[in-house]
Amino acid sequence: MGPTPIVTLHVLGSLRMYCAGASQLAISAHTVRAALDDLERSQSALYRNVCDETGTVRRHLNVFVNSDNVRDLAGLDTTLTPGDVLTILPAVSGG
Amino acid sequence: MADRVILTLGTKKGVFVADAAKPRRSFALRGPFGPGVPVYSTLVDTRGTPCLYASSCNPFFGMKVLRSTNMGKSFKETKSAPAFPKEDGRTLANIWSLEIGGGKKELWCGVEPASLFRSHDGGDSWEMVPGISNHEHARKWQPGNGGLCLHTIIRDGSRVHLGISTGGHYLSEDAGGTFKASNEGVGAGFAPDPYPEFGQCVHKIARHDDAPGRLYMQNHGGWADWTGPGGPRPNIGVLRSDDHGYSWRSIAKGLPSDFGFPIIVHPHDADTVYVMPLEPATRSCPGGAPAVWRSENGGNTWSRLARGLPKKESYFTVLRDAMDIDRLKVPALYFGTTTGQLWIGREGGEKWDCLFDSLPPIHTVKVAVV
Repeated sequence: MGPTPIVTLHVLGSLRMYCAGASQLAISAHTVRAALDDLERSQSALYRNVCDETGTVRRHLNVFVNSDNVRDLAGLDTTLTPGDVLTILPAVSGG
Repeated sequence: MADRVILTLGTKKGVFVADAAKPRRSFALRGPFGPGVPVYSTLVDTRGTPCLYASSCNPFFGMKVLRSTNMGKSFKETKSAPAFPKEDGRTLANIWSLEIGGGKKELWCGVEPASLFRSHDGGDSWEMVPGISNHEHARKWQPGNGGLCLHTIIRDGSRVHLGISTGGHYLSEDAGGTFKASNEGVGAGFAPDPYPEFGQCVHKIARHDDAPGRLYMQNHGGWADWTGPGGPRPNIGVLRSDDHGYSWRSIAKGLPSDFGFPIIVHPHDADTVYVMPLEPATRSCPGGAPAVWRSENGGNTWSRLARGLPKKESYFTVLRDAMDIDRLKVPALYFGTTTGQLWIGREGGEKWDCLFDSLPPIHTVKVAVV
């Protein structure tokens, strides 16, 4: 395994209050799962909005690496490469 | 000196606050507060400087507790919300009840899946109460249509009464350390055994400080016509206990339906109790004509209170926490509907007026005089 890639996490506007207003966070991680683990350590308030008590990504959130939903890749085990953009978005809803 | 009547309204789209001077002629409305997500519980904490609390049940980002220290002009999240320990395996799905505890800043919180949490710092940190959350029955309780919720918390010295749907009534005699199912006489309509040890769909429980030992319960009724195993179960929906909740008996006779959600007690008369009967199949007003029913003799007889309410074509639902009564000398009742109307029943419910008619669906109404 090579050096840990640095990726960018885009923070949704409504969640920036949980990370001192930051719109982007730099995270070093080999996988999406490792990126979330890093988030739990470094931004615990933000992490609680993304994952429930068991560490599972909340049901109505989607995680993207660049343009791809990790559901269509390898899930939380999707590997990251330097410069990847990680985006967490609420699922579309109506009513 | 308390001179304002304040209402907290938990709705599908956030929390609203309404207040009025004591005559209650007109209420000013503020809100919605929160991120536009459902609010299932609110609390007006009148100990010391009044403080308002509201749950904020965000389907995307999880549960929060909101707090207002300026009488509902603004709300902020507390530092944390109740959460199960990681190793527990359960995840918080909703916050159903917020009540004051015995300590200065102590709060109790009932959640879904049915569990109890306690805070000693006004909601900034929470601990799970294992005596009920890890009760031997807990993994056997089943969710009702509203979810598996712990919705009622009543503290009476070292006694604690809990209402769980569907779990039943649980009683602690040691301030919440341990709990026992206490459902003798509480019927269930959705199980072959009409009187199980636990698993009843209790909708709400109420009590009055002046009548130690007496409790009123709105249970899940509407089973008079059941013809399957165990036979019909008429009048299991509205109940009374006179022994601190150890046993219960029906007081539903005389009501148009024993199904309903809220039950409340007059603040100055333990014999006066109010319910809102609903059609069991549709959970809406019988015949399209809503009415609150009042008993002034502890449930022996009932009278219909409907002056000012629609006489026809009105099919809303009033949910378990959506009716309350203030503590003024001549109290007023308040109920909110799933169609977004807030009604006030002046003179103890004798005369009804609609205060607001186009709010989001209302889940909870709480009132206090501050």
